[in-house]
Order: sequence, then C-alpha cells, then structure tokens
Amino acid sequence: MAARERDDTGGQDVLRRAGDASVLILTSLADGSKHGYALIQDIKGFAGLQLGPGTLYGALDRLERMGLIEALPAEDRRQPYRITAAGVVALRAHLDSIERVTSVGRLRLGLGGI
Amino acid sequence: MPDSRSMRLVESALRCYPQRWRSRHGDEAAEIASLLIRDGTPAHSIAWSYLMGAARTRLVTGPRRRLGAAAGALLLAAGSLGAPLALLSSSAPANAASVVHSRTAHPRPADPRYGDSRPADPRHGRGRSAPDRCDRHDQC
Repeated sequence: MAARERDDTGGQDVLRRAGDASVLILTSLADGSKHGYALIQDIKGFAGLQLGPGTLYGALDRLERMGLIEALPAEDRRQPYRITAAGVVALRAHLDSIERVTSVGRLRLGLGGI
Repeated sequence: MPDSRSMRLVESALRCYPQRWRSRHGDEAAEIASLLIRDGTPAHSIAWSYLMGAARTRLVTGPRRRLGAAAGALLLAAGSLGAPLALLSSSAPANAASVVHSRTAHPRPADPRYGDSRPADPRHGRGRSAPDRCDRHDQC
C-alpha cells in the first residue's frame, strides 16, 4: 500500500485515499487551530460545500489516528484541533500531487499551464 | 434555538455512536447540530449525517471490530446463499431421477470392449451387464 501511495518525487501522498473531507479539514487547519463548527464554516467559505457533521467527525477521528492532527485542550464544550508537523508534510505532498494533475489537465484542455 | 423535536431527532442519531465516542464528542456534536439547525440546515439531514457517521464508526474502530464486521458480512453472505443452495439440493434427486429415466429410455449401444465382465449396474435388480440391456432395448 505504501509503495502504491508513494509518488514519483519521493514524497508520500498519504492523503490520496483519505478522502476529500480529510484534505479540506487539513487545509482549513493550515492557518490555525479550529473546533468543529468553525471548521464547517471555514470549509463552506473556501470550498463552497458544507460538510455533514457525521462526515466531519469521521474525518477528524481518521486524521487523528494517522497523526496528522491533534486535539487541543477542550474549551467549554468545544474541542479544537490543530495540524501536526506530519499533517503539514502530508498536505504539502497531496497539494503537489494535485497541482501536477491540474497542470497536465489544463495543458491537455489547451488552457495552458498554471 | 432549534425546536425540541429537531433536537430529539439529532439526539436519537447521536445515541447510535459507541459510548466512548459520545463521552468524547457527544456534547460538542449536539451543539454543532443546534448551531447548524439555527443556520437553516434541516434537522433530518444532520441526523442522517450522524447516523451514517455512527455506522462508519462502529465498522471502523479497530482491527478486532473490522474482523468482527468481516465475519458478520461473511455469515450474512453465507446465509443469503443458503436458501438458493437448499433449493438446488432439494431439486437434485429429481434431476438424478430424470437422468436414470433417460438412460433407461435411450441406453448406450453395445460396446464389445465391455463384454460380459462389466460390473453389474446396481440400478437394475438382476445385475445385468451392458450388452444384455442393449439387446433387450433393441427388441423393444
């Protein structure tokens, strides 16, 4: 599995199979820690889609198990999360991978590279 | 504040999560639901999302659970195959009977290779050999 997820630049895109919700959450956490509702609102703002709360918690649990995010001490009933160093590396590798595909796609559509 | 019926619906869905999950996320999940309902998200859509999340959480919470889920799925598949297999096996004697019928109705022509030393056919009481049966058929 790890071999399949390894891209040709040597980086490991562990988010390739983690799902879109995981990528959106990591992207949202990239500029600072947030709790669940703030994540939903932020993702709605930059991606234009509203994550269902069940999907959100599923992705948060998965990312935490993978060591890509960590829970901070709870504030009242809210549980904030922040991205870890491994999460930053994983997000960067995934964005690089998407960028390569985007460039090829744009070139092939005659839209020019980014 | 969302009405009590909406919150009851969401809380019912939240009760489907494992106890450990509820003790960690339960309060915040209820608060998020209440905020989303206030923002205009339908309560049934939130409840459905939590319901599906609960199903996923119960299926993917560790290797032992995964093994249990796989075993359950296997049993379910075996159970659903059981009925057709039982039907097939119950029709097997009928098929066998039709084979016997067709053999008696159209026996194989005499083959000198078998001769008289061919073992007796247990389906025939007198233990006749193959050429004997064929001779009788020719007479019919």
